[in-house]
Order: sequence, then structure tokens, then C-alpha cells
Amino acid sequence: MGEYFMVVLLDDYRMSKIRGTGLEENIKYMFGGELRLLEVKVNEELKDKILQEFDTARVDSRGAITDVPVAFMRELFNQVVEKKSLGPEVVEAVLAKVDEIKKAAEKESEYLPPPEIE
Amino acid sequence: MSRFLIQRPLPHGGRLVERVVTDKEAAKKMIRGCPSYDIKPTLHYETGVPVRNVYREIMSICYGFFSPVEGSMKQAEVERILKERRLLNEWIFPYPLVFDISEEDYKQLGVGPGDRLVLNLKGKPFAILDIEEVWRIDNPEELAHLTFGTPERNPEVVREPFNKKHPGWVIYRSLQPVVLAGKYTIINEPKFRPPFDRFWYPPRKSREEFDRRGWRTVINHQTRNVPHVGHEFLMKCAAFTGDVEPCHGILVNAVIGVKRRGDYPDEAIVEGHEAVNKGGYIKPERHLPTIVLWDMRYGNPLESLLHGIIRQNMGCTHHMFGRDHAAVGEYYDKWATQILWTKGIPSYGFPAPPTDVPYGLDIRPQNMREFSYCPTCKEMAYSETCGHKREKLSGSFLRGMVAEGVQPPAIIMRPEVYKVIVKWWKHFGYPFCNEKYVVNKEKELEVDLEDL
Repeated sequence: MGEYFMVVLLDDYRMSKIRGTGLEENIKYMFGGELRLLEVKVNEELKDKILQEFDTARVDSRGAITDVPVAFMRELFNQVVEKKSLGPEVVEAVLAKVDEIKKAAEKESEYLPPPEIE
Repeated sequence: MSRFLIQRPLPHGGRLVERVVTDKEAAKKMIRGCPSYDIKPTLHYETGVPVRNVYREIMSICYGFFSPVEGSMKQAEVERILKERRLLNEWIFPYPLVFDISEEDYKQLGVGPGDRLVLNLKGKPFAILDIEEVWRIDNPEELAHLTFGTPERNPEVVREPFNKKHPGWVIYRSLQPVVLAGKYTIINEPKFRPPFDRFWYPPRKSREEFDRRGWRTVINHQTRNVPHVGHEFLMKCAAFTGDVEPCHGILVNAVIGVKRRGDYPDEAIVEGHEAVNKGGYIKPERHLPTIVLWDMRYGNPLESLLHGIIRQNMGCTHHMFGRDHAAVGEYYDKWATQILWTKGIPSYGFPAPPTDVPYGLDIRPQNMREFSYCPTCKEMAYSETCGHKREKLSGSFLRGMVAEGVQPPAIIMRPEVYKVIVKWWKHFGYPFCNEKYVVNKEKELEVDLEDL
């Protein structure tokens, strides 16, 4: 059974949501510490489910699952915060909303909600 | 004066082509009694999606970006370009440029050599075409192949046969069969809409602006992208070339034209580059973002030749070229442009670089590799000097981050640039060009016209 993961990028807004969840110690860094990210674990079964549900999804050479809809990635972050976890139950919870995500993904080619920045 | 000082080159061909009539009364007289034709976009030969609008070529020709080209090319000129990449007056030029119409439109117009045709844009008179020759494109697919090359004919740099996945090939494949050849003259100057208006520096104006700023040496940065910090370092460091001192100016010249889905909107591209100097990352006194109208052909070395011509005409002394310059897919060797500018590509008619052949260019190439972040040096580092393992800055990684609404760290993308992306994201409801943007852009274009 292979080990897979999904990357959750963290900007300042997301960092504020992560604070106090106990996940801070799992944060990884790129670009001299400027880019923060979390890696959510994905088991074989969930990986297959993701690839089956989203035809754009792929697994890269590191074992990272990429190219899923933005709606999926946003829900992934929401579930990390809600579950306060990086375990497979996070992706399970995301996949429980697969119909909702697919509906949002259909509209993604027309509209993506812009971030609120000053 | 030091003998090492580099002077601004003359325009390609020796003089700037300027074919714009600004006197409205004179313009009215010029078109009195002439037949007229509404400019139509070139539509993809299979899907019907707009892939080109000839108005952009007319603008770039008449304002001198493409000097010494003066109009739609005759058959002999196109044939010479395809064989030797030279105009009939000997000066080098990479691409056929034609005014093409359908057989039905041709029959309906009933025009021929010696006639003056008024070209309307958005329902208003825009330009005239003084027809000198009418000829036909018998085989657009062959024209498309001859324009870009094949692995057999151009083994030095062409790696894969061109096909309908290549947007430049599609433009030539989609041309209409009847070519009206002759000189263009703009008789009703279009007005650029914001934000494009403040970036419009046609060659005469750009040369005057360089004089005003005291720029003797200017290096050009070609772009069709929102700048990340890798681009910024490329610009800053390439500018250290020059003569006895670094280049006085960095000209950013964004190619504005038909878009592909997934590109950043043109509005975000030009304002993103402006944000680099507004944020002080490159002093505004040394940095000038501008535009040129052109539906990219993505011809890598051939496109770089056109870029050299455009920027020499704008008054640049240097031009930076990187990996996969103006390329899509893997049709060309990823260093094809740098091969052209360092040793030439004989099969395209260049046994020597375009700066070293008769009737060639005077602009100096600055062939660059890549900048990426080095965690050891803790700075953006040049691939050819940094000996550490670096973290590559990939456009798709950045785009994925942007699409997710995550602000990239300032070491990758300046916050001022990101704010511009979000500004236009809010405007269009999408951070990149989607189908709606592409279709609307080709309806609205970049300009409006007043009544003549």
C-alpha cells in the first residue's frame, strides 16, 4: 500500500485559522520559510476514489495528488481546520461532499470567488 | 566619448514606417467613393473560435512596430519569406502577413488592383488598403507548415511536426483563400481603452520617451505573463549588460492579442508589470511597461526574430531571450531562440545570427537562463552561477496557488503584483482567461473608434 498526500498551502489568513488546532508543528516550509504548507495523508483507497471522481486529478512523482478542482482544495482546508487533523479522515470528509464539490467545479470555469485582500 | 559606447540602432530597414493620417478632413477625402469592408476575425478552421484579428497587424504595421513592412504582402514576398525569411527589399522578416478574405466577400466587393478599400472596425472607418495585387492561398495547411517548419526541413531546431494544437499553426491554417495585397494606411486613429492607453508607446513615441529619460541603452523584456520574482530578477540582472555601464532602461513590451484559456488577462499583465516599478522593485525611472498588438504565433526562434525587429524599431539596444522563448508545447528545441541568435539556423535562411547577415538586425541579444530561489544563498539565484540545489519557480505551481486564492509569498510574487491579479479577478470573476473573457475580448478588442 502506497503513501500519498495532498498539499494544503497556508497564507496569513489560513495560518490564523490553523492557530490553536495543534497542527502548527506539522507545518513545512519552502522558499526560505516564506511558503508554509501542510501535507494531508491519503491512503490507497482514498487515492483511487479521488482519481475516479475527478478525471483531471493525478499523482505526481512525489506521491502528491494534484490537479483536483479548486473547490476540492478549499474544502480540504476547511476539513483540516474542522477535524484538527492531517489524517485520512480529512479526505474522507471532503469526499463525503463530492456532489457539492463537483457542482462547484462545474462552475469553476466560469467563476472563481476572489480572495478578500486589502 | 568612449569607443565602447553603444548607440541606439536605426529602425529595421533604415526608417520608421508611419502610415497614420491624423487630419480627419484629409482622411474623409481619401475614402470618398471607395468600397468598404468590415474587418472580420480569423476563426479557427474547425472550432470557429476567434484566433486572430488582422486589425492588430494593421496597427503594428502602420505605427512602425513591424518596419519596414508597409502592408499586406504580395505572393512573391510571402514565397520569399517562407524560403529565406526576407522581404522583397532584402530586409529579414519571419512571417507572412496578409489581408485575407473569403471568395464570397471577394465576389461581393468586386475590387481589384488599383482599387482603394476602406476597412471598417467596430462599424467605423479605420484604415485603407490600396490594393496592388490579388492572389490566392491554395493550400493553407501547406502555408502553415512552411511558415513554422518541419523536423525534416529544419532539423536544427524543429522537434515535432506542427499540428492543430499549435495556436500559430492554426492561425495560418485558418486563413481565408483570397489575399488582397497592398499598403495599409490608418485614417481614423483608434483610442485605447484603459488600462491599455497608458502603455501605448509606438516606436516614434518610445524613442522620444527614451530621449526624454536620457536612456541611451535599453534592454527589452518580452512578456505575456504577470511577473513573478524570477522575471523581476531576470530583468534586473540582464540589465547589467550594456556597454561601459548597465543598461539605462528596461523596456517591458507585452504582446497584447488573442488569448488562450488559462492565460492571465492582458489587463493584469500590463498592470502587474507596472506594479513592479510602483512597488520600487525596479525604479520607475529605469522601467517602462508598454504594449504591442499582435496575435502571437508562438514560433520560438521565428517569433524572437519578430520581437527583435519590434524592439529595435522601438529603440532598444538589447533584447533578453530565455528558454522556450515564445513557445508552446515541444515543437521546438527549448533553446531554439538562443541557437538562432548565437550561431544562426541555416534552414531558416540564417547561416549566421540575424545580427550578422546582410540586411539584418542591430539589436544585441542577451541570452539568459533561469532564476530560482536558493535556500542556501537565501536569495533568488542564477542557474549558471549558483552551485546549490534550488527551488524552481514554476508558473503552474504559482497559478495553482492563485486559483486557490492563496497569496504567494513575496519571495515568489510581490504583493503589489498579486493585488493587481486580484483586482482584475474581481472585475472578470476569474483570475485567468476563461471562455467568456476570450470571446468578449475579441468582440470588444482593445480600442474604440470615433466617427470620422
